[in-house]
Amino acid sequence: MRLADLVTQGIALADEAGRSDLRKRLEQTRERLGEPSIRVIVVGEFKQGKSRLINALVGLPVCPVDDDIATSVPTLVSYGDPAGAVVVVPVEDGTDGEPVLERRPVELERLADEVSERGNPGNQRGIVAAEVTLPRKILSGGLTIVDSPGVGGLDSAHSLTTLSALPSADAMLLVSDASQEYTEPEIQFLKQALRVCPTVAAVLTKTDLYPAWRQIAELDRGHLDRVLPGIPLFPVSSELRTQAARLNDKELNEESGFPALVSYLRTQVLAQAEAVQRRAVAHDLVSVTEHLGLALQAELSALLNPERTPQVVAELEAAKERTDELRRRTSRWQLTLNDGISDLIADMEHDLRDRVRNIQRDVDEAIDSGDPGPVWDQLMEWLEQRVTAAASDTFVWTDERARWLSEQVAEHFSEAEVALPALPRSGPESGLEAVPALPELDPGHLGPMQKLLIGAKGSYGGVLMVGLVTTLVGMSLINPFSLAAGVLIGRKAYRDDKDARLRKRQSEAKSLIHKQLDEVIFQVGKQLRDRLRLVQRSIRDHFTAIADEHHRSLTASVLASQKAASLYAAEREKRVRELRAELKKVEGLRSQVPVEPPALARTA
Amino acid sequence: MSRATRLSADRLLDRALQVYAGDPVAVARLEGHRRRLHEPLRVAVAGMVKAGKSTLINAIIGEEIAPTDAGESTRVVTWYRYGLNPRVTLIAREGEPRGLPVRRREGRLVLDLAGVPVEEVRHLIVDWPAAGLRNLTLIDTPGIGSLSQEVSARSVTFLTPEDAPSEADAIVYLLRHLHATDLRFLESFRDVEAGRSGTVNAIAVLSRADEVGSGRIDALVSARTVAERYRHDEGLRSLALDVVPVAGLLAQGARTLRQAEYAALAEIAALDRDERERLLVSADRFVRPVEGLRAAPELRRAVLERFGLFGIRLASVLLRNGITEPTPLARELARRSGLDPLLRILADQFSARAEQLKARTAVLGVEALLRERPVPEAGELTAEIERITSSAHELTELRLLAALRTGAAPLPDEARADAERLVGGSGVVPYQRLGLREGASEQEITEAATAALARWRRRAENPLSDRLTVEVCRIVSRSCEAIIASSAPAPGPALVVAAD
Repeated sequence: MRLADLVTQGIALADEAGRSDLRKRLEQTRERLGEPSIRVIVVGEFKQGKSRLINALVGLPVCPVDDDIATSVPTLVSYGDPAGAVVVVPVEDGTDGEPVLERRPVELERLADEVSERGNPGNQRGIVAAEVTLPRKILSGGLTIVDSPGVGGLDSAHSLTTLSALPSADAMLLVSDASQEYTEPEIQFLKQALRVCPTVAAVLTKTDLYPAWRQIAELDRGHLDRVLPGIPLFPVSSELRTQAARLNDKELNEESGFPALVSYLRTQVLAQAEAVQRRAVAHDLVSVTEHLGLALQAELSALLNPERTPQVVAELEAAKERTDELRRRTSRWQLTLNDGISDLIADMEHDLRDRVRNIQRDVDEAIDSGDPGPVWDQLMEWLEQRVTAAASDTFVWTDERARWLSEQVAEHFSEAEVALPALPRSGPESGLEAVPALPELDPGHLGPMQKLLIGAKGSYGGVLMVGLVTTLVGMSLINPFSLAAGVLIGRKAYRDDKDARLRKRQSEAKSLIHKQLDEVIFQVGKQLRDRLRLVQRSIRDHFTAIADEHHRSLTASVLASQKAASLYAAEREKRVRELRAELKKVEGLRSQVPVEPPALARTA
Repeated sequence: MSRATRLSADRLLDRALQVYAGDPVAVARLEGHRRRLHEPLRVAVAGMVKAGKSTLINAIIGEEIAPTDAGESTRVVTWYRYGLNPRVTLIAREGEPRGLPVRRREGRLVLDLAGVPVEEVRHLIVDWPAAGLRNLTLIDTPGIGSLSQEVSARSVTFLTPEDAPSEADAIVYLLRHLHATDLRFLESFRDVEAGRSGTVNAIAVLSRADEVGSGRIDALVSARTVAERYRHDEGLRSLALDVVPVAGLLAQGARTLRQAEYAALAEIAALDRDERERLLVSADRFVRPVEGLRAAPELRRAVLERFGLFGIRLASVLLRNGITEPTPLARELARRSGLDPLLRILADQFSARAEQLKARTAVLGVEALLRERPVPEAGELTAEIERITSSAHELTELRLLAALRTGAAPLPDEARADAERLVGGSGVVPYQRLGLREGASEQEITEAATAALARWRRRAENPLSDRLTVEVCRIVSRSCEAIIASSAPAPGPALVVAAD
C-alpha cells in the first residue's frame, strides 16, 4: 500500500479518537508527500552555460540564454501539468515595511523577456524570482532545478545571494565550462558552499566546443580532489543534448554526457531525498499509532485488570508530570535553546562587527595615504566586495553554529523524553520512539531566502540578502566629490589650498564610509538576527508540539483508565470488544508502515 | 612635437646622470632609462588565466612561437623583442643573464629554465627576427586569478611594482567577460603607474571572442555587441582607452595558415551539407575516422586545435562563398578575427604616442630615483620634471583624457565626447581627432579644426564657466591649434604609424 494511503488511514483514525493535533500533523505529512520538493541549485560564474544546461535537462528553452549576460533573476523549474510560469514581485503593503511577495502568471514564451538581462536590464522590474512548471519526466518526483544568476562572477556581491540560497538546497551543481580549468574564485566558492550544502556535483559544460576537454576535466578532477575527494564530475554538452533531442539520436545523447548526469540526479539526489522523506513519513505514522494506541491500551488494561488500575493511573500521572516538565520554559532543552540563540546572536554580532572594523581600518589607511576623490567609485566597489566577503563569512559561520545548536537541543530533548509506563500490550513490542535527529525540521524552514526558494505561498519575509546587496550597491552611487577633478587637472591652480581641501575630502570620505559601514552592521546584523530568531521559533515549535502530543495522549489515557473503573459488567464486555477492534486497526496500520533503512548522515 | 618631448627627456636624463655621477646604482638605472627611451615601445599583454594572452601575442607577431596549452602555460614573464638572430636569455633576480638553448616543438618555443627555480627568474627575453616586433616589444605575463597564487603574484608585481615605474609602457588587457578581478587589476595598474601622472595607457581586448556564442557562425557579431557594452561600462572606461573583440585563436591560425591545413579546410568545405554538419557537431566527432575523407584524423585534430570549431565553420562558409586560395582565406580570417582593428588601435593609441609614453616612463623613473636617493640638486631636477610634464602637451592630453573618462571634468556629455576626441581619445591623427573620414583633405581638416578651436574658446570665455572648465578648454584649444599648425601650408606628412 502506498504511503499516502496509510497517511489517509491514519488521519481517519486520529479523527475517530478526536485527536485534532495528530490529525494536523498527519495532514502536514500528507501535504509534504503530495508536493515533494527536492531542490537542486545550479551555480557558477557567468557565461558558463548554466541556463543552457537547465534547458537541455528539461528539453525546453525555459531559461533565457544570451551571448551576453542573460539571467538576472533566479528561476525555479519544477514539475507541473500544464506548463506555466509565474514571476514573483514584491508589493509594498505599507503595514510594517516588509514587502509582500506577489505571484503574477506570465506566458511561458514571454518569460525570457521578464527575467533576462536584455528584457529587464539590471532587473529594473524588481522581480525576485521566476517559477516555471513543466510536465517533464525528469522533474517528476519533486525535482526542482534552480537557475541562479551568475552575473557578477563568483567573487562579487552575487555570490552572497547564491550562498544564502544554498542551505535550502538538497544539492548543488557547480558549473564551469571546458575552456579552462577552475580558477581561484571558483574553488573558493566551492569551499564555502560545501560548508552549507554538502551534496555537490561538478558539471563541465561545452565539451562539444573544446577539443581539450578531457585534459581540462582531468585538471579539474585534481582541483576537486584537493578540496574534498569524491565530488563527482560530469562533462556534458548542452548543445549535443539539444541536437540529439531534435534528431532523436541516441548515440549523440550518449555523447552529450547527459545520461550520466540525469542518472546521478535521479539515483543519488532524488533517491536520497526520497529516502529521507519516506523515513520521515514512516516515523510520523509510527508515532501517531503509538499515541492513538496508548489511550486504548490504558483503557483496555483497566477493564481487564481492574485491580491494577490505581497503579497504572499513578504511573500515567507520573509520566504526564514529567512530560509537563518538558513543556516548561525551565526545562533543559528550552534553556539550551534560548541561551544558545542569545549567545549565537551576540557572537554573530561581535564577529560581524569585528570583520567590518577590519575593513574600516583598511579603508582609513587607504584614504590617509592619498586622495579619495578620483578613486571614489573604485573605492566603493572595493568596499562593497570586502563587505560582501565579510557578510558571507559571518553567514556561513552562523549557519554552521545554528545547525550545531539544533542538534544539541534535539539531544537534550530526547534525553529528557518520558519513558512510557509499562502497560500490557496486545500487539508487537514497541515504545514511543525517541525523537530522531530532527528529520522533519526541514532546513527549508529556517530562512526567508529558503522560503523563497521553496516557493512557499504568502510572505517571504525580508528578501534577505538580495535586498541587502542591492541596498549596498545603491549606496555606492552617492558621490560627494564634485571637485575631484581638481586633482587630476591643473595641479598648479589649487596648489595653495590643496592641503586643506585634501584633508577635508579625506575626512568627508571617512565619515561617509563609516556611516555606510554602520549601516552594513545594522542591516546584515538585523537580517542574521531575524534568521536566528526564526531558527529558534522553528525548533521551539517543533519540540513543543511533540511534548503537547505526549501530554494529550497521557491525559487521555488517565481519563480512559479512570472511566473504565466506573463501567458496568455488561458494558465492559462490549467496550473491551470495541477497544480490541480499535486497537487492531491501529496495530494494523502500524504493521504496514515500511521499515526504512537508517538515515545516512547528511553531513560528510 | 613628440620629438621635442623625447629631447627634453634626454636632457633630463643627462642632467640626472651628472647629478648622480658618484652613485653607480643610480647611474645604472638612469642608463637603463636612457636605453629604453631609444628602444621600441614595451607593451605588456595581461589578463586572467587562460584569457588567451600567448595566443594573441603569436597572432600579433604573426608566428606561432609563444608556447600555449590547454592548461596554464605561461608561468614566467616573457619578453618578445626584435633581434636578428633567435635567442633566448634568462634574466635572474641575482647574477648575470644567461643564454638558453633555442628549442622549438611544432614551431613553438620550448622555454626550459635550465634548472633555475621559477621564483628566481626575473624574466625571459626572446629575441626573434619577426617584422611585427620591430616597433613593439611584447611582454607575455602569467595569468591573474590562477589557482597557483604565486604565478598570479608574479604578474602583479611585474606590472604594478610597489616603488618603481612599471617595466611596461602600455598594456593590452585581455578579458573574456568583465570580472571584478579584471577591474581591480586595471585599477592597481593605473594606481601605481598611470595614477602618478594621471593618464590612461591600457587597451582592453575581449578575447576568445569566437567562443562568445558557443561557436556559432555569428559569434563575432555578438562579441562586438558585448564589447560595445563594455566600452560604455563606467568602470572600464576610466581604465582603458578602448575595448575591442578579438578571436585570438582564429587570428593566430590565420596569420600562420599552412598548405596542408588549407587543403583539409577546403576538403571539409566541399563535403555535402549533411556530411559536413555531422562532422562539425562536436570537437569529438570532428576527429573521428571518416570513410573517404582524405584529411586524416591526426591532421583534423591539428586543424581543430589551431582554428577551433568556430574557425573551421567560418572557413567552410568562406570557402563555399568563392574563396579558392590560401592567401585570401588567411586574409579574410584575419580580418574577421578582429586582429586588424586591434593592430590599428595599437598603432593609433600606442605607437603614435610611443615617444610620449616612453618619455613619461623616463620622467617617472627619475622621480622615483629622487624619492629613493635624495640629492641636494633634487630641487633643480624636480623643476625640470615639472617643466617637461607641463610643457609636453601630449602628456597633458593623456591626463585630460583620463579626467574626461573618469567623468571628473564638469562638462555636458556632448562637449565631453567632443573634448575626448580632440585630445586624441579615438586616435591621434588629425582626421580622427576631428571625427572626419579617412583621407580628408587638408582644407577640410583646417576648417574643422578652426571651427573646433572657436567652439572651445567660446566655452572658455563664457563667464559662467568655472576654473576647471576653463582649464579643460585651454587644453582642448591647444590641441586644436596643434592640428591647425600641423596642417598649415608646407607641412611635413603627418606621422602615421601603419598597422603592422
